[in-house]
Amino acid sequence: MEHLLETIGRNMFAIFGVMALCGAAFMVASKSAVHSVLGFLFAMLCIAGCFLSLDAEFLGMAQILVYAGGIVVLFLFVVMLVELSKFKEKTVFQLQSRYAVVAVLLGAVAFIGVFRKVIFGTASTEALVLRPELAQGLNVAQQNAQAVSRGLFADYLLPFEILSVILLVALVGAVVLAKTERV
Amino acid sequence: MVSLNAVLLISFLLFSIGIIGVLIRRNALVILMCVELMLNAANLNFIAFARHSGSVSGQAFALLVMGFAAAEVAVGLALVVALYRKRDTVQVDDINLLKG
Amino acid sequence: MTADMTLAHTAATAASHPSSYLWLIPFLPLFGFLINGLSGKKLRNTAIVDTFALGSVGVAFLLTLWHFSQLIGLPAEGRSIHQSLWTWFDVGGARVLGGLTTYKIEWAYKFDVLSGCMALLVTGAGFLIHLFSTGYMAEERNDGRYYRFMAYLNLFVFSMLNLVLGANIMMMFLGWEGVGLCSYLLIGFYFDKESAAIAGKKAFVTNRIGDFGFMLGFFLIFQIFGSLDYDTLMGSIRDIAHLPAITLYGHTASPTWWFNLIGCCLFVGAMGKSAQIPLYVWLPDAMAGPTPVSALIHAATMVTSGLYMITRLNFIYVNAPTALMVVLAFGSLTAFVAATMGLAQYDIKKVLAYSTVSQLGFMFMGMGAGAFTAGMFHVFTHAFFKASLFLGSGAVIAACHHEQDMRNMGGLRKLMPITFMSMGLATLAINGIFPFSGFFSKDEILWKVFEGWFNHGHYNGPTLYLVAWILGLLGAFCTAFYMTRLIVMTFFGDYRGAGVDPYHLTVPSEAHGHGDAHADAHTHDDHGHGAHAHADHGHDAHAAHGHDDHGSHGHGPAEVSWRMWLPVAVLAGLAVVGGFLNVPASITSKWPLMGWTGEHFSHWIEPILFQVNAPHHGEHVVPGIETFLQVFANFWALGAMALAWWIYKVDPSWSRAKAFVTRFPNLYRWVNAKYYVDEFYEAAIIEPLKRFSAQLWSFDTWVVDGMVNGAARVTLIWAHLMHWIDQKLVDGAVNLVAFIVQETSGVFRGLQSGRVQHYAFVMFLGFLVFAVVKFFV
Repeated sequence: MEHLLETIGRNMFAIFGVMALCGAAFMVASKSAVHSVLGFLFAMLCIAGCFLSLDAEFLGMAQILVYAGGIVVLFLFVVMLVELSKFKEKTVFQLQSRYAVVAVLLGAVAFIGVFRKVIFGTASTEALVLRPELAQGLNVAQQNAQAVSRGLFADYLLPFEILSVILLVALVGAVVLAKTERV
Repeated sequence: MVSLNAVLLISFLLFSIGIIGVLIRRNALVILMCVELMLNAANLNFIAFARHSGSVSGQAFALLVMGFAAAEVAVGLALVVALYRKRDTVQVDDINLLKG
Repeated sequence: MTADMTLAHTAATAASHPSSYLWLIPFLPLFGFLINGLSGKKLRNTAIVDTFALGSVGVAFLLTLWHFSQLIGLPAEGRSIHQSLWTWFDVGGARVLGGLTTYKIEWAYKFDVLSGCMALLVTGAGFLIHLFSTGYMAEERNDGRYYRFMAYLNLFVFSMLNLVLGANIMMMFLGWEGVGLCSYLLIGFYFDKESAAIAGKKAFVTNRIGDFGFMLGFFLIFQIFGSLDYDTLMGSIRDIAHLPAITLYGHTASPTWWFNLIGCCLFVGAMGKSAQIPLYVWLPDAMAGPTPVSALIHAATMVTSGLYMITRLNFIYVNAPTALMVVLAFGSLTAFVAATMGLAQYDIKKVLAYSTVSQLGFMFMGMGAGAFTAGMFHVFTHAFFKASLFLGSGAVIAACHHEQDMRNMGGLRKLMPITFMSMGLATLAINGIFPFSGFFSKDEILWKVFEGWFNHGHYNGPTLYLVAWILGLLGAFCTAFYMTRLIVMTFFGDYRGAGVDPYHLTVPSEAHGHGDAHADAHTHDDHGHGAHAHADHGHDAHAAHGHDDHGSHGHGPAEVSWRMWLPVAVLAGLAVVGGFLNVPASITSKWPLMGWTGEHFSHWIEPILFQVNAPHHGEHVVPGIETFLQVFANFWALGAMALAWWIYKVDPSWSRAKAFVTRFPNLYRWVNAKYYVDEFYEAAIIEPLKRFSAQLWSFDTWVVDGMVNGAARVTLIWAHLMHWIDQKLVDGAVNLVAFIVQETSGVFRGLQSGRVQHYAFVMFLGFLVFAVVKFFV
């Protein structure tokens, strides 16, 4: 038992990753939009788990808050709003699906071929263990939120501020787009 | 412990699934979700490389990407709603005004 | 000198102190303009507009004061504060006289002895005039135009500050054009009134002519110096002036020749902005704008920009004797001619307008005589008393319900005591009565001009100086005469507006609201208040019309609100004491009062003046002459005042003036019609231009169109021939190609499905191709 738990703990990332893949596949494949949203939610939660297992606690929490808490709810609302049942999809997939899947798979193979040295190279197979001198700067284990905020508010303050403006613009744009047209 | 190539592989597969979804699904909502998925795959890479290089920049950027994704979803969903109001559909292949 | 060597400018060695708040002085009014201009329309409460407009200029004034106090604390040769904001544009690689230049035009401000004084003047007088406007434009508060006025005023202050504070000629040019624009906007403020719109256009076009000269001037400066920074220019002038010859555009001439050319070109610009003969015509017409505008633009600030420019570039003028002579000649001519035009005007603002033109002529006279300090000092004293006079006239006009004709005023002395006191003091100042400010500045100019001829006791200077001096004296006489006439007609006697008119002096009034003035003046029809045209009960009609919002009473004129009389009084106070800043040495050396040394202003301005030789102070061979002339100038002005008093006050029916007019009807007609200069321009320049355009047009219709039509006919015949060939041979080939294309296009048409996902798929395929290529290569 001990041993099993330890193995699970060690391979936490792989487990969450595979689960995220399953969720994503379910999302793409399912006929009903509500099921798709559920698959999406599951995938997002698993990705949050991946983040956690990579010692990015703050991001993991943010992922759960933003995606599971905000975006998924938004999607659900829209799904309810547009009455998907009104037009049951005759065909879920496009006519081009077969070619598309083949092309993407081909692309995947080509991509892996191109970057095989990076992905299977010696440098990348070694475990992602933080070297102590790097851990000093990143402070992943103890004060991840602090470190992230330092990066955000010291080094990338301008992008951050611009992002806030973009969010505002998106907010206004969304309101304008979605409001009922009054004649 | 987890190695960099495992993270890259997972994120690559997620990205591929996202692309496939964008290309083959007809429902605009699902397409939007797939786009989100692709962004998340990119985020995963950011974090992995942040870890790898011992810099916090990657995490900061992932956070910024999350913000952008939220903005994108807001506008995208608004578009879907507007589309539904105007054309009574959310199927992207029903919208072919560009057809020559 | 090889063509491709890079110019290395002798860096300005003069120590300059950086400041990080300097930019706020010009930019605060700009912010005020932006806030008011963008949001003013929505604001219900014009008090908010007031807050921004006055606040921005007021704070700018305080900042200017602060900087000025810092300037005083610095040693004399290092009195300069600068701030460079950003590189405006980079002209690196331009080919100039000395080779390639690496000059960058900076958006930089420079606060030194000259620009500091000017900035004080602009912000200080500007603030007072803003304050005045809040009272004067009360009527506009209700019809949504108020914010526009205040925003324009702020923009004007910004432009003017840019003009004076800019550290290079380009910055000055920006302000130069900016004030031209603002003047256009503000003169044409009542653009629904045709005369105002035309006056605005006239000001703009006339100014453009001057601007053209100014641009040529500073282009030449750049060609010769390779720089536009004042410091650099001043630093390298000696080297350039000592060059044996300068060749530009294939013409070789001595540096002096080129400096003369530059000086004349720049003076053309100054003529336009500072209203000198022959480009002065716009200024009297500019009185169509609201009175505060006349005070701000046409008395205190904008018209002085030409003088500021000449003083700022004095190092060029000092090396250009012919250009200085030109300045002197035009200045003295303007001083005299404009003063005579003021003699026979009845519109109170027109009198002041011609007075302004004349006083500007005096300033140019001083500059032309090489006395930049004297000219500049007159700029300041003139700004005080003329702004005061203009604002006072504005108060009078407001109190008299937009009556501008002095014949319909009179007796306001008792009704508006504060305005009367202020305007009276300002009049004494402009007349040049000791010890008011005008005496010190005007007398200094006249003395410098005289000194040019007097030539240290040899009486053999250029005759032009003597002529200019005599013209100046005559101009001063006329000035004292018409100013006294203005005061007497406006403030003494009895009020003639209310129907009390024993001598039948009043005339049908053109004054009324704003928009309907023209319709009323031209067509005496029966709508509503047509009755006002009859002088007998004209005023009742006014009262009925209701301009009650000026003062508390709707009937007779009364003292205006404090917002209006306070600026007038402050400016008048400055006009009284301002002269003591530059008491001539000839006075202080004789009557030293409590260690008051005099010539403060001259010493203050000295660092920016280019010294050819060692300066010589108070080196008068016969000092008695200066004293004699000072005393003489006083009695001269007093005589003119007495004459005006005798004609207009002693005899309230003005019979002497009338007798004079009947005696010399033609003289009167010419003067009253301003020597028909406007008509002359209309006939000599504008009309021929129009006719020439018409000629060009007819040339166009007959010759050019005829040629075109002939060509068309030839083409037509040729075309018929070609048509046959076309149809049989070419069309066959084209149709074949089209057929092939049509057949093949069906295949590609399928690609254009209109589905976004197809496009995305194709995009992905493209990416795939890249990846595969990378994979195999």
